[in-house]
Amino acid sequence: MSSSSSSAGAAAAAAMLASSADSLSSRSLLLPSRLPFQQQQQQQQHSPGLLVRRGAGSAAVRCGLRELRERIDSVKNTQKITEAMKLVAAAKVRRAQEAVVSGRPFSETLVEVLYNINEQLQSEDVDVPLTRVRPVRKVALVVVTGDRGLCGGFNNYIIKKAESRMGELSALGIAYTLISVGKKGNSYFQRRPYIPVDRFLEVGSLPTARDDVFALFVSEEVDKVELLYTKFVSLVKADPVIHTLLPLSPKGEICDINGVCVDAAEDELFRLTTREGRLTVERETVRTPTPAFSPILQFEQDPVQILDALLPLYLNSQILRALQESLASELAARMSAMSNASDNAVELRRSLSIVYNRERQAKITGEILEIVAGANALT
Amino acid sequence: MTLNLCVLTPNRIIWDSEVKEIILSTNSGQIGVLPNHAPIATAVDIGLLRIRLNDQWLTVALMGGFARIGNNEITILGNDAEMSTDIDPQEAQQALEIAEANLSRAEGKRQVIEANLALRRARTRVEAANAISY
Repeated sequence: MSSSSSSAGAAAAAAMLASSADSLSSRSLLLPSRLPFQQQQQQQQHSPGLLVRRGAGSAAVRCGLRELRERIDSVKNTQKITEAMKLVAAAKVRRAQEAVVSGRPFSETLVEVLYNINEQLQSEDVDVPLTRVRPVRKVALVVVTGDRGLCGGFNNYIIKKAESRMGELSALGIAYTLISVGKKGNSYFQRRPYIPVDRFLEVGSLPTARDDVFALFVSEEVDKVELLYTKFVSLVKADPVIHTLLPLSPKGEICDINGVCVDAAEDELFRLTTREGRLTVERETVRTPTPAFSPILQFEQDPVQILDALLPLYLNSQILRALQESLASELAARMSAMSNASDNAVELRRSLSIVYNRERQAKITGEILEIVAGANALT
Repeated sequence: MTLNLCVLTPNRIIWDSEVKEIILSTNSGQIGVLPNHAPIATAVDIGLLRIRLNDQWLTVALMGGFARIGNNEITILGNDAEMSTDIDPQEAQQALEIAEANLSRAEGKRQVIEANLALRRARTRVEAANAISY
């Protein structure tokens, strides 16, 4: 920095300082008790201030030394919080991963058994309520959101997806009802009474969700159940997807309904032979080995009854997986949002410290000038 | 010969070790399984699963599912399962009363289906909690 510009800046800063110091001291004298409150207000105003300031450059910060110090402190505090939240989210992603892994033996065995039984039952004409394809008049949408905010656009994306799906369905003239899972989705849909919502559920209420879906479909109140959730692709990528939950397709084939295309383009139907891998940065798909049953295996009941017992289990594991994936995506989204926030806080703190140091320097320069001027006047 | 039992639920593994004998509530009644049982596949009802370890009987509340027996391996896939020792009898009793009240209030096909299922689950939990291990 050249000396001329710094002296000009110092003069301007000194003038500003005088006025701001005046106002500040008078305020604090008049209302000493209100200071903590003001501090709080300032903290809350920081985020919009941050955007403005960054657009205009660091020269846009116009406040006194004390205010600057307070701002630096509050940014420091915010940074600590966001960093802590980031670490917590990272630890929870690990736990979500473990939950998926611990559910693996179940789903592996289930896929193996289902595959085998399907092989054996292929010749027979089996009719199971959960696989019955009916003409679609009403669709239930299960929308899985998160319980908490501060995770970037995670909740918004899935709600947008749900809104667009509802638009598509009403354009096709199909009625719909919603089952909202997660506090964020609940509060969104509660604010919009024109959206028909069958039930509001919390994340982690798997049995309720399953019973609800099951009862809706079996009692023929709805003819199709779709699951909207966020698919965990990697720690930085998650896609909102639509998944047909019911009717189940026992052979993993695509069921077409009366020529009416209710399935969205990205709709994924079940494929019983493949199963999602665990949550790592890369998504692996494992094909479960399906050794043949011993040929002398007997069915204790009718094949229909066996399938009747197996398919709800399958439904269960599908819903659980969706909830787990959604949770993992939410945590990953929070992790990256908090990491961005920490980066911003570091940057903001740095530029605020520069301004603070510059003003302090200017104040000292001003004082020296005054002393020198006074000494000069005396001689 | 040893008999291995594996009870799996979507969340976790409830049981995975050697047993002497089990009694399983299937859709067509209770069956006892001893080592060298014939290979069968069966649907499992909401009910009790009793496990014999040497001379001790343990009880598990099993919320329906599927079982495969063969080659001295029993695999039970359950919607949900709870060891009787993990159930609080008083809490289970209260849940049963709530479930009964819900059933009497239920209207329409769907609510009756739901309430009936909930009642059966609650009853099984109470039975499991009160079962004496002898």
